[in-house]
Amino acid sequence: MEIISQLTLNSIIAGAIYTLMALGFNLIYGVVKFFNLAHGVVAVIGGYTVFLLTGALGLNLYLSAAAGVFFAGLAGYGFDKLVFLPLRRRKTSSMVLLVASLGVFTSAQAIIAIFFTSEFRTLGAVSAGENIYSFSGGVITQTQLIILISGMLIMLGLTTVLNRTIFGKAIKAINDDAEVARIVGIDTDRITGHVFFIGSAIAGFAGILVGFDTGIQPTMGMGLLLKGVIASIIGGVGNIYGGVLGSFLLGFVENFGIWKVPGEWKEAIAFFLLILFLLVRPEGIMKR
Amino acid sequence: MSALKTENLVKHFEGVMAIEGLSISIEPGRITGIIGPNGSGKTTLINVLSGMLPIDGGCVVIGNTLRLKRIKPHRVHSYGITRTFQEVRLFEQMTVLDNILVVLTERGILSALFERHGAGHLKQAEDVLKRVGLWDKRGGLTINLSYGQRKLLEIARVLALSETGQAGIILFDEPFAGLFPQMVKIVSSIIKELKEDGRTVVLVEHNMDLIREISDHVIVMDCGNLLAEGNAKEVLERRDVIEAYLGE
Amino acid sequence: MEYLTHLAILFFIYAILGVSLNLVVGYTGLLSSAHAAFYGIGAYATAIALTSLHINFFLSLAAGIIITGIIAFLIGIVLSRFRGDYYALVSLGFNVIVYSVLLNWQGLTRGPLGMPGIPRPEFVFDFSSNISFLILSFLFVIVIYIISRFLVASSFGRVLKAIREDEQAVQVFGYNTNYYKLAIFVISAGMAAAAGSLFASYITFIDPSSFTVMESVFILAVIILGGLSNLRGSILGAFILVLLPEALRFAGFPQAIAAQMRQMVYGLCLIFLMLFRPQGLLGEYKL
Repeated sequence: MEIISQLTLNSIIAGAIYTLMALGFNLIYGVVKFFNLAHGVVAVIGGYTVFLLTGALGLNLYLSAAAGVFFAGLAGYGFDKLVFLPLRRRKTSSMVLLVASLGVFTSAQAIIAIFFTSEFRTLGAVSAGENIYSFSGGVITQTQLIILISGMLIMLGLTTVLNRTIFGKAIKAINDDAEVARIVGIDTDRITGHVFFIGSAIAGFAGILVGFDTGIQPTMGMGLLLKGVIASIIGGVGNIYGGVLGSFLLGFVENFGIWKVPGEWKEAIAFFLLILFLLVRPEGIMKR
Repeated sequence: MSALKTENLVKHFEGVMAIEGLSISIEPGRITGIIGPNGSGKTTLINVLSGMLPIDGGCVVIGNTLRLKRIKPHRVHSYGITRTFQEVRLFEQMTVLDNILVVLTERGILSALFERHGAGHLKQAEDVLKRVGLWDKRGGLTINLSYGQRKLLEIARVLALSETGQAGIILFDEPFAGLFPQMVKIVSSIIKELKEDGRTVVLVEHNMDLIREISDHVIVMDCGNLLAEGNAKEVLERRDVIEAYLGE
Repeated sequence: MEYLTHLAILFFIYAILGVSLNLVVGYTGLLSSAHAAFYGIGAYATAIALTSLHINFFLSLAAGIIITGIIAFLIGIVLSRFRGDYYALVSLGFNVIVYSVLLNWQGLTRGPLGMPGIPRPEFVFDFSSNISFLILSFLFVIVIYIISRFLVASSFGRVLKAIREDEQAVQVFGYNTNYYKLAIFVISAGMAAAAGSLFASYITFIDPSSFTVMESVFILAVIILGGLSNLRGSILGAFILVLLPEALRFAGFPQAIAAQMRQMVYGLCLIFLMLFRPQGLLGEYKL
């Protein structure tokens, strides 16, 4: 029975991390309509910013985390302004954008590896003396609890912004039809830039949390990204709630899946789930 | 004996009815015009008849004998049906010549693998391209053609299929849209020649003068239904047809 | 001299990988990120055949090609349901799955430990010297290139390009495009497997890390740089992208970061190509 509790907790935590990735990915996809693979590397940028600030500069943890989130957002914003926006202006196909984002991901990841080496590192000595909570036989660390709570808070915050603010309405308009949004006077380029910032900041936050939970490595971006993408597609691409549902579904299938199957097959299980959904219900759990 | 028939054909998009129980018959060897206001379902009908949209209800009958509730896109050609596209769908980053050759060459994989240099089809391609006046542009990329030239290439493509006996039923979706008078002449004479060769022509058009001039029979659609049919003169003078056009 | 021979052999292997991927991406318009998977399956199948079953190289090569072909056929059937971005994503997924299998099916592949002791080919001739292997790989390139030229210049090739331009329209004109896409996907995978066999036998030790998604990205960079839908372009792209990072090494960058430098170059290459020259150097097709 304890195993089930632990697996459930693990699933929920995994689901929360994937939710953070999916939220950002979905938000961005909604306005630009292409698979931004660079989304994976902004999570890594968040983690390494914190590493740099706490480690090399001895900065306070919370400040570093805030800075990490900010820089991740800035990076995403920068990628849009430098690479994606010029391409969008030329009305290139979404495949060109996908390849360009692949280029951004690849080179950024390599640059991080050059500066920080490919070693696996953990963030902060905080993890050592951490509190542990127990729920019906399963354990969850303080960091993991933070992951869970922040995931929910950010989702709530995001849906509030989308539904209650003018900014959110503009995003939804662009989501529906970018051309029309532009015609009615919405500055789509500027809003898209902001969306990149917010979405990437959320991903950066995810990277930092993962760093505290397990650790960081330059190559972690791809894994996080793919989970976020899979969760988004399963849940219904572009749909915020769908991304959350998809994330938790993915978390559960993965963690219960490796109960019976060796742990290294996690990624393969995730992709099998994706392909299954794409074949059987391609629009995802929640249609747009 | 009809060449092509629909029986209670139904097509809907997420609850919106585009074609509602349509039953029409296209007689062989003549030019049947299909007209109707925007949104009446004309292009949807052509898309269904050419297998590009699935049938939701009713069926399509080909040549009186073949009843189909499902038309697979790549089988359409084997039924002797071909079509042009309203929005012009050519193979943009290929040469003009290749655009014609590709509908003339072998369909099967193995035979296609062992066929080189367009094989015996270069002469046929030449004839067809010369007919529409695009032979000198044959080596250029299609993406560089003007709008009118692209419409002509679409016509050349189906002409090639007719000339080689691969297609007996040709569906034209607004072939005259946006053409200069000179090009209109070329296209309308080609369509008339197709009829002389015994082909069955379906012509979706908005240009009433052309419809009057070349169709033998006219079908009027409105809101996915058959509104009227008969010869061009009668149909175009009917009150309900005029109202359907003005009313929207 | 040894070093140059080594570079040349790598160049030839990537030339094969590039030319074969171009058939699928450049000519047929299918953005596949699964190529490294077939490269890997070919390499491992050959390695296993050579080390455990002790068959000669050319039979192992054939085994590798056939096994890869069958797997590519199955993957291709699933992939044929997808277009554009989704195709790219699902093919990436298959790459991850195959990599997972190579890494985790330790009974078969020895997992992360890799497979050492792969012998050089011994067929009439003994190919243990690098120079002789160079000639062997060159012959492979010639054969693959000739086959690809043959494919592309035939009516089959014309249909592939039409599929790339507008698959639905091609269908209306009587082509069963699913069969065509499957055929070229399998052929391309078989060629990648041949490159894998060469690689395994040359390096004599393989491990899963050579066949990750990044590797597929590298091959993609090769063909986009060289130019999609142009076979000589892929060879040129392979030449540049294999040699350029080595040139950087001479510019003084330390060996430790060589792999990351290479990766950075490839990434930047993709970005600049998309921004400034999507048709690459010799390309006849823009994404």
